[in-house]
Amino acid sequence: QQQQQPRALCSSSSSSSSSSSSSSGLDLVLNMASPDASGINRTRGNRTLTPEEEEDSQQHHNNTKAFPVLSFNFEHVRKPFEISLWILLALLMKLGFHLIPRVSHIVPESCLLIVVGLLVGGVIKALDSDASDTNSSVPVLNTKLFFLYLLPPIILDAGYFLPIRHFTENLGTILMFAVVGTLWNAFFIGGMMYGVCQIEAAQLGDVDLLSCLLFGSIISAVDPVAVLAVFEEIHINELLYILVFGESLLNDAVTVVLYHLFEEFSHAGTVTITDAFLGVICFFVVSLGGVMIGLIYGIVGAFTSRFTLHSRVIEPLFVFLYSYMAYLSAEVFHLSGIMSLIACGVAMRPYVEANISHKSYTTIKYFMKMWSSVSETLIFIFLGVSTVAGPHVWNWTFVIFTVILCLVSRVLGVVGLTFIINKFRIVKLTKKDQFIVAYGGLRGAIAFSLGFLLTDTHMKTMFLTAIITVIFFTVFVQGMTIRPLVELLAVKKKKETKRSINEEIHTQFLDHLLTGIEDVCGHYGHHHWKDKLNRFNKTYVKKCLISGERSTEPQLISFYNKMELRQAMMLVESGSLAVLPSLTSMQNIQPRDTVKQRVIPSISKRREEEIRKMLRSNLQKTRQRLRSYSRHDLMMDPFEEDLSEVKFRKQRVEMGRRMSHYLTVPANRQETQIPHLRKVNFEPEHQVFTYDDGKGDGGSSAPTNPSPPLVIRHLNETNQVNSPGGGNDAEDPHGGEEQPRLARFLSDPGPKEEEEEHLGGCLNCSVSSFVY
Amino acid sequence: MVVKNCLLLCPVFVSAVSHSQITRLYSRFTSLDKGENGTLSREDFQRIPELAINPLGDRIINAFFPEGEDQVNFRGFMRTLAHFRPIEDNEKNKNPPTSEPLNSRTNKLLFAFRLYDLDRDDKISRDELLQVLRMMVGVNISDEQLGSIADRTIQEADTNGDNSISFSEFIKADDQRHERTWKHRLDTHIVTYVTAGVTNAGSTGTR
Repeated sequence: QQQQQPRALCSSSSSSSSSSSSSSGLDLVLNMASPDASGINRTRGNRTLTPEEEEDSQQHHNNTKAFPVLSFNFEHVRKPFEISLWILLALLMKLGFHLIPRVSHIVPESCLLIVVGLLVGGVIKALDSDASDTNSSVPVLNTKLFFLYLLPPIILDAGYFLPIRHFTENLGTILMFAVVGTLWNAFFIGGMMYGVCQIEAAQLGDVDLLSCLLFGSIISAVDPVAVLAVFEEIHINELLYILVFGESLLNDAVTVVLYHLFEEFSHAGTVTITDAFLGVICFFVVSLGGVMIGLIYGIVGAFTSRFTLHSRVIEPLFVFLYSYMAYLSAEVFHLSGIMSLIACGVAMRPYVEANISHKSYTTIKYFMKMWSSVSETLIFIFLGVSTVAGPHVWNWTFVIFTVILCLVSRVLGVVGLTFIINKFRIVKLTKKDQFIVAYGGLRGAIAFSLGFLLTDTHMKTMFLTAIITVIFFTVFVQGMTIRPLVELLAVKKKKETKRSINEEIHTQFLDHLLTGIEDVCGHYGHHHWKDKLNRFNKTYVKKCLISGERSTEPQLISFYNKMELRQAMMLVESGSLAVLPSLTSMQNIQPRDTVKQRVIPSISKRREEEIRKMLRSNLQKTRQRLRSYSRHDLMMDPFEEDLSEVKFRKQRVEMGRRMSHYLTVPANRQETQIPHLRKVNFEPEHQVFTYDDGKGDGGSSAPTNPSPPLVIRHLNETNQVNSPGGGNDAEDPHGGEEQPRLARFLSDPGPKEEEEEHLGGCLNCSVSSFVY
Repeated sequence: MVVKNCLLLCPVFVSAVSHSQITRLYSRFTSLDKGENGTLSREDFQRIPELAINPLGDRIINAFFPEGEDQVNFRGFMRTLAHFRPIEDNEKNKNPPTSEPLNSRTNKLLFAFRLYDLDRDDKISRDELLQVLRMMVGVNISDEQLGSIADRTIQEADTNGDNSISFSEFIKADDQRHERTWKHRLDTHIVTYVTAGVTNAGSTGTR
């Protein structure tokens, strides 16, 4: 226990907390009861004290005479501290790789992370062996940790952003690879390994057939984490990507069933026909049950998001929690958690996206990406660490044959299955495609974790060693060579283009056309059922799960709105209006201007100049507004409300009324300043709308009260206008769609001077949100 | 004659498979033919319940009828459907010298283009696009909003500034962006080997 002067203490605490992350694991818990209030605040800011701790310090206070100003208790925070350190390490590594461009171009990130893991594991082991002989303190890839915390974010990210169209169009092929291919791999590898084990020289006589099959089922599955890590970097075309990736997702059910089946049997020792039959049933239960659970949670999640209009900040959490619950619920029954998670994400997404605000959508996107990338990084690092930590039994025959058999069975499986599949596919898989699909069959951490779950025997360590070798082989050799091979074979790459409105229209057009042609032919194929599903979705499901007018909004319209929004966001991000002309809409807005100008010639040059001045002087204000802080809500989203023209007109009329009311009553204009914008959000919407201006007692009511509705009106107003034109009008305020509105504003009759000023404010508000 | 060329170029397809396909389509044709006179009228098509609710139903039906005619025989029926036959690999290599088969990529796209282009001036004007949009999105969207979408669409594709989409722009717009989407989306399984059907129907028709 050290005793110091409070001031010195403060400085030491802050410096230590900032440096502790990088240097040692030294941590200071400060129990301080000095009268220096600022000191207390400071320490609390750095470390939150739990109630027990405070109690503890109080007792301390009672018992000892000399009050401990500084005490040391690392054990108390050890666990979260270590976790944070690991994550920090992982992230710093990730950061570091991208600073060395040449390395990250050649070697995939996953390889580098494994190497880092190996190094860290080595260091820990070296340090540890001095202190004690047990290697228990070296962290390994804990199976529970992996399946409960690390895997779900990655799968959720993958499932939520699954390119659904490609996925459904290739579903047959994907299922074929995932189910039949994995079964083939498992049995081929298992059977052949048993054959290998019979060789006398290998000294593997104690490995029986069931253990071999168990090993085969563990090693056969393509791993989504590894596939994602490698395929994300090589930008392969969507078809190949979805084939390999989809397979890695859907083979989970097969792996789970096979694993449990063989594990059970290897304990029992015998297999009967009934068991095999039950295994087949189990497969359907596991996969379909997982999907069902996912769908249920997805629908509930979508339904919940219908009601989040007034508490936007918690929206993203619903998505995460429902998905995670789906995963956990599936795991409760040993169903396929991965399939459940994917089903949940896929089912939830279209409805949730229609309900939530754009900001929440961005949050969801970023959080998913962040979590999944952290998980992925940790998984690979831990994989490296566990390799160093674990005991190994290196049997040359076993390991080498495993690697060779994995490759052979994968190639045979893909070629054989493609031969069958190509008979049914319209777009045939070429030789190149087959090669990439076969070569992309990477193994990863799921196999390792499953192997880790086996009961502790000599065989387990041997299996684990072989599994790790296969993982390293696929991730390092295949992962590093796949990029040059893709370039060598000139496999079509993914084209980085945004979806255009043309594509959307033509795609829908073609869907309708093909459905029509199928109907003419009396053939009930893919398009027919898709059309049926769409119709059902439109008539029933959307109404239940999407709130407000968006439920009846056609897909095309929502797509268009989203596109406009994206462009507007790009504008904001680019930060200057000078970039505008590069957008297609800007180039082509000019011809229409002339038409509009003919229609509304009522704006004089002087007015135009005034408006421009207003615009210029007020553009800055939006920026300031964005910066202001609120715990419960962000800046009001200008795109949230529905954008229908009717509503817009109605609201403008209402606003006009309210405004004239305010202008006649001396309202405190200072109150319409920024802070209220956010407060307004908490007020129930109806309260804002039903403000009765018939009373005419605006003067007697509190001056703060009348102003918020006015402000919210302004904002809503701008929302309405903002949508159709997008960012177009910002540069050209006197042209395009802005013009009629201005004309209306300016020609409004009313108290001249005040009205003018107020309108100016209103205009400023609306115009500035254009830029936003 | 297009049909003849196809017959010459793809003898492979006159096989048992194609016959079963033709038979299937022929039985469909006869079941649609309520008048039992060997031809289909517009009413026959409109009787298909799914087609009646298809937003593009009328246009699809029109596509089956040559200009100014009210009846279509089996040959014409197959001729239209032949547009939807997938492109076979071995066909691509042969590189037809005289004329393109009906299911070539250009012809597929031309078929789709014609569905937009009502007045057959080889341009999709703003009005024509608006009509299609209106059909697809339903009635509860304001004209202004739809108009802005149409404008945007034309702006995106229009390269020569005539405020409409010509066929070359139509192809190019999709070519650059979504080669895959277009190339294969127009293929459906049902009409595999239909060209063979056309050739057969054609030859029986001329005989």
